[in-house]
Amino acid sequence: MAASKSQGSYFGLFLVGATLLCGGVAYLASGTGRLLLLLGAVISFAAYVGFRRIKPLEGKTPVESGPETMKWMGAGVALLGWLITLGGLHVVEGNGARIVLALVGIGASLLGMLYVLPAAFNKKAFWKIGPGTSARSSLAPVAGKSMVEPAYTATPHAMESAR
Amino acid sequence: MRSLLRNHFLALCIFALASTVAGIAYAQAPATNGQPPAAPPAVSPATAELREAAAKAPTSADLQKGDPGGTLTGSIADVTVTDAKAGVTLPDVGSQVGQNKVAINFVWTLICGFLVMFMQAGFAMVESGLCRVKNANHTYMMNFLVYGCGLLAYWLIGFAIQMGGAAGNANLGGLNPLNAEQTISLFGKSWGIFGKTGFFLAGSSYDVGVMVIFLFQMVFMDTALTIVTGACAERWKFVTFSVTSVIMGAITYPLFANWAWGGGWLSQLGTNLGLGKGYADFAGSGVVHSVGGLTALAVCMIVGPRIGKFNRDGSANPIIGHDISAVLIGCFILAFGWFGFNPGSTLGASANGNLRIGTIAVDTMLAGCTGTFGAILYMWIFKGKPDASMAGNGLLAGLVAITAPSGFVSAPSAAIIGLVAGVLVCVSVSFVESVLKVDDPVGAISVHGTNGLWGVLSVGLFADGTSNYGGSWNGVTGSVTGLFYGDASQLTAQLVGISTLLGVVFTLSFAINMALEYVIGHRVSAESELNGLDIPEMGQLGYPEFVFRAEPAMARAA
Repeated sequence: MAASKSQGSYFGLFLVGATLLCGGVAYLASGTGRLLLLLGAVISFAAYVGFRRIKPLEGKTPVESGPETMKWMGAGVALLGWLITLGGLHVVEGNGARIVLALVGIGASLLGMLYVLPAAFNKKAFWKIGPGTSARSSLAPVAGKSMVEPAYTATPHAMESAR
Repeated sequence: MRSLLRNHFLALCIFALASTVAGIAYAQAPATNGQPPAAPPAVSPATAELREAAAKAPTSADLQKGDPGGTLTGSIADVTVTDAKAGVTLPDVGSQVGQNKVAINFVWTLICGFLVMFMQAGFAMVESGLCRVKNANHTYMMNFLVYGCGLLAYWLIGFAIQMGGAAGNANLGGLNPLNAEQTISLFGKSWGIFGKTGFFLAGSSYDVGVMVIFLFQMVFMDTALTIVTGACAERWKFVTFSVTSVIMGAITYPLFANWAWGGGWLSQLGTNLGLGKGYADFAGSGVVHSVGGLTALAVCMIVGPRIGKFNRDGSANPIIGHDISAVLIGCFILAFGWFGFNPGSTLGASANGNLRIGTIAVDTMLAGCTGTFGAILYMWIFKGKPDASMAGNGLLAGLVAITAPSGFVSAPSAAIIGLVAGVLVCVSVSFVESVLKVDDPVGAISVHGTNGLWGVLSVGLFADGTSNYGGSWNGVTGSVTGLFYGDASQLTAQLVGISTLLGVVFTLSFAINMALEYVIGHRVSAESELNGLDIPEMGQLGYPEFVFRAEPAMARAA
């Protein structure tokens, strides 16, 4: 789909919703604050619905969906590492032991980030899949389009906006 | 007869009363030994001296003749007086000195903030130069809009979350309106979580000092945001980038920045648990660069590699940027801006040990220099050529690594930290590409993420305990001192900071961007990507006279 009027509209809606939400948070104690919060939530939800609605219009992207559970597990392991470090601060008193537990925590986080997550994302990576089963099958004809098709070159109208 | 008697009695009473009053008055009067009392002095000696100096000050007639030597301009006559009749008094001079101190610190912090703001131009040039010409407009525009997205979000809520409880900075007049930090009580201690004042810079936050700290912290936040745009360049949907930048400027960055700089729990590790002086990150290797680099890693994984980057066997194809001159000039602009980043983080040039700004600036220069050498020598020795883009990344890696320790280390330590960073960035770039299979066109994950973490760690190793920013750091008396200078507990505080960056910041960024992947989608279509994002995403080419050609790597992949 590329950039479009709908995208711009929903992004504008998102900004308005976010501004109202922040206003609501800032003045939460007052009635006006709660009203702003409610309005912000409604407008943000409208932006969410709009974004969801136009998402399929983007067209075929090369990214294949991977194992979602494994992705979240990787993030969970990264978070677990932090909890190990925090726990270490309270479970042990000695500085040496705290350093060891902090290193164990960092190791666990790195395991989640650098092993589990890449494995999850690369399991069905598009560059591993053969032609005909991914977006790459159409690369060659599309790659030359910009040289031959007017739709892919700058129009005089587009250049006007720069001036 | 009765009337006569009454008159005599009245006269006697008046005499007695008068005698009593006179006696009391005499008793209260100082002894004069018979001499008349001396007149009290009209003014104190100090005030008299001030008046004498004021009388000797150059007059407007003197100044009308010009002052080529600069010896007449600026005298006691320029001190603002509260009472023109009384002339210059000691309180007037005291107020002027105090205001001058704060004024010097305001000007210093603002100018350094302006320098950091200019770094956006450097980032734009580096990132666009390392991308292909068909994506130049898109990459420049991401670097352009990230400034607005970040600034808006930070003004709305980010600043309040980060600095809402940061009152007490003597350099900037106290920042007293920023006095509300949300805390939780855990294990018998109170821990700061996020600030609660400063929304919209309205109400009590409409304050001269608050405005200065807002500007300075805002440009730091924007630096973190712009790191992500480079790592995800050439395939990132513009609308998703815009939304995620707003969220990062509103939540992710301010939260960690509060924990480190805004009086949050990481800065309290010293006071609450006795871990050195608490998490110490002088100018933001962790707060700015690691946050940006780790977010870049999270988004890069989600958005996936560019088409043609990896072959079916997993080997990587080099995708060469279009303008190495832009890259190297951009690096110089960044190095220039870094003089705002690091020395500016004293938040002042006057009092509280702020004269260390010279050391900080030299440390910054040296680490950038040795970082460049580290990368150039690594590439030259192991790959055969002194690669230009890696040389630029080596410079930036050295600067990123010295950002946290710059306020606490000596020049030789800075040189070592930079050299290690220069080598580390080369190793990390190779690891990210070859092992993780993550496509980072500009090396942002390695430059900012890896070396940001190295910078945080190096504080715990190299801080020499000679700095003295008002006698304490994070509320703990004394100077930040690392393992090599005798304080192992500071290293523990730094490791806790690193663990938080990896465990919380990365995970939070990942979760936010996964949610955006479900709602909006991060990736542009294959067709847009292959033809370049300038037309489909921006509506106009960055370089309209250029003729594109099909790229061999893509044709081969197809």
